[in-house]
Amino acid sequence: MQGLNRRFEVIVVGAGPAGLSAAYILAKKGFHVVLLERGRGVGSKQVFGGRVYSSLLERVFGSLGDAPIHRWVRRERLSIINGERMLTVEYISGGKYSFTTYLGQLASWMAGKAVEAGAIIVDEVRVDRILVEDNSVVGVESGGDTLKADVVVDAEGANRLLLEELGLVEKPRPSDMALGVKEVIKLGEEKIDERFGLRSGEGAAWILAGSVSAYTPGGGFIYTNKDSVSIGVVVSLESGGLVEEPYRLVESMRLNPLLKDIWREGDIIEYSAHLVPERSVRLIPSKLALNNFLVVGDAAGLLLNTGYTIRGVDYAAYSGYLAANAIVEAEEKYGSYSEEVLRRLYEERLKRSMVFRDIARHKAVEMIWENPTMIKQYAALLLDTLGGLYELGESTPSLRETFKNARRKNKVSLIRVMADLVHGVMKA
Amino acid sequence: MTSIGDKPLRVDDLLQRNVWDVDHRPHITVDTEKCRLCEAKPCITTCPAGCYILAGNKVVFSYEGCLECGACRLICPYNAVKWSYPLSGKGVQYRFS
Amino acid sequence: MHIVVGVKWVPNTQAVRFDPHTGTLIREGVPSIVNPHDLHAVELALKLRERYGGRVTAVTMAPPGAVKGLEHIIGMGVDDAVLLSDRKYAGADTLATSYVIASAIKRMGDVDLIVFGQETIDSSTAHVPAQVASWLEAPYIYYVEEVEAIEDNRIRVRRRLEDLVEWYELEMPAVIAVLMHSQKPRPVRLIHKLRAVLEKPVETWSNEILRLDERCVGLKGSPTVVTKITWMPEVPRKQKIFKGEPKEAVNWLIRRLEEEKILPTCGADKCGEGD
Repeated sequence: MQGLNRRFEVIVVGAGPAGLSAAYILAKKGFHVVLLERGRGVGSKQVFGGRVYSSLLERVFGSLGDAPIHRWVRRERLSIINGERMLTVEYISGGKYSFTTYLGQLASWMAGKAVEAGAIIVDEVRVDRILVEDNSVVGVESGGDTLKADVVVDAEGANRLLLEELGLVEKPRPSDMALGVKEVIKLGEEKIDERFGLRSGEGAAWILAGSVSAYTPGGGFIYTNKDSVSIGVVVSLESGGLVEEPYRLVESMRLNPLLKDIWREGDIIEYSAHLVPERSVRLIPSKLALNNFLVVGDAAGLLLNTGYTIRGVDYAAYSGYLAANAIVEAEEKYGSYSEEVLRRLYEERLKRSMVFRDIARHKAVEMIWENPTMIKQYAALLLDTLGGLYELGESTPSLRETFKNARRKNKVSLIRVMADLVHGVMKA
Repeated sequence: MTSIGDKPLRVDDLLQRNVWDVDHRPHITVDTEKCRLCEAKPCITTCPAGCYILAGNKVVFSYEGCLECGACRLICPYNAVKWSYPLSGKGVQYRFS
Repeated sequence: MHIVVGVKWVPNTQAVRFDPHTGTLIREGVPSIVNPHDLHAVELALKLRERYGGRVTAVTMAPPGAVKGLEHIIGMGVDDAVLLSDRKYAGADTLATSYVIASAIKRMGDVDLIVFGQETIDSSTAHVPAQVASWLEAPYIYYVEEVEAIEDNRIRVRRRLEDLVEWYELEMPAVIAVLMHSQKPRPVRLIHKLRAVLEKPVETWSNEILRLDERCVGLKGSPTVVTKITWMPEVPRKQKIFKGEPKEAVNWLIRRLEEEKILPTCGADKCGEGD
């Protein structure tokens, strides 16, 4: 068994975007790295909304030329739905900033790069515990087997069982987390192009608020993949749990009269669910490193939900990249993976990065977006105003009149509107 | 290609769309004794896989259709859910997510 | 004891759907798995190795992708594995399959016990174990749930049928098929799976190695032809509950069955009379 005598310098736990990025960079730098993944193969347990921003990913992996990109997002849509009425804003983008894919495919692509660079990936293995001796992490435990290494990278994802067991974080409050449920509907490439008004290879990303998620905090999303559409809702868990079963929410979105014809004749090919770190700021561990130990990706709470877009995969990859570089530098310059060194080389740099600053910056927008009564009220206000302008009978009221009527109908004072607007703009 | 139609699918029909390799060992266990004390039973409406159902006033749990999201662990007010991931790569096998 | 455990790499049939319009099975994106019943054979083999020493070799005839399945089994603790893989073996029925497997076992030489699962989830013929025994001229027992080694190179096997338990004594080499659900297959372990990835203990034997007559393998060596596959659509069940005396219940049931035209009308009321 000479293979088992091989000593690993780094163990990475979890083959998601964060763990794979870390393993790839480390292997490229010549480190002996083993990545442990609980799923069968890479990607079989992964769920995300549907879109990845490319810029940070390129920083980690270089060219995305051979990446499994389904469509480059060209059309950005934002809708408010109230019953049978919908207001949609569409922005047509000129550049290539984000693309749609299946996360499992993207992870397999990353895994290919990591293995090519020399990383060892061991799947079907669940890590049960981070091993600590004398106040330092020394390895991991799985089903009674132990595996030791100089440093461990925790990329376990949104459910932080290992970090909780280690005492680095507490079990999150339900209100800090959201639940995303998603259906993938196979429709065919041409139908998608036609129904979303896309040219070949172009994609749409669509965020919906209002009655689509039964006014529960959160919202709906639609992404166009190559020959399928991902639709779903993200709802905050709140302390009392959800009011309506998530599968009913996503099914009522699928059957929403305003939307259902888009995926007419489609076939649901997958139904998935995943936790989303909603209030990231509250979920980021007090320290992102211990002696011989680093935390990356969702486990580090690195996800941004602005209300008009959700970013997680590229942040995860970038944190894995920073962690790997920190390990390389710690070894070269200090010959030590102490907490102090790793926090300086990883945590401080991460916190200085745009990733981290954006997460902190957007918290106000999250709060507004999450406020269900506000969404409901404003949805009605906006749609009543527009309804007054467009749904004409004999008279043709002015914008001022319809807005006033809508405010009266929805019991929103002008002062309130102004205050909320100012508040929102300032905090955003 | 089969059409999905105009009626909401039951959760079982949705789960049937996925690939599964279910282990004989449950990866989650629920101390349903604790559930008797729980009035709210938020697991019933929160679980996206309908793994928690009410039979009369009792919570009945089955792990087979679990999507491994972890919501029940967070939402349970009585810490009745002993939660982990399946071993050996078993459980749900996502292909298009 | 050298134990060979035979496994099959099968599409996860749970995920295979039927397209009623085209009358074909939708296999797109359906991953393959080790036939779940075979994991019970693996478990029994590993238990026997723990009890009596020796080694366990897994064998399968499949395309190269089956290495993943063999690594899963090595992850459970099997020592090594042989993948019998050659384009010439494609399209084989159970006879041609069993011929290749039996030939591989003969080539291994020192095999004492050959263990299979009861049947496969994708075809359920249960032919292969019996046919392998036939090629090897070895004794064969199926529905086995326990094996004990006894003196003179013999084993005693416990076989469970619906309403009785039987014990047989067999001379080794012998072939057994393990009763489905009779074991608790152990999980994949970190150290074993790590070995599966690092040491690559799966050997591939093509027909260059086995040198079997091409007329006896693959499609050419397969007398069985599948002419058509149909699907039994799920029938919505009707439910009615009748409460009353057994005699009334019988009459009531017969009347209902007549109404449904499942039974010919025969004056059901009289049927309950007499005895």
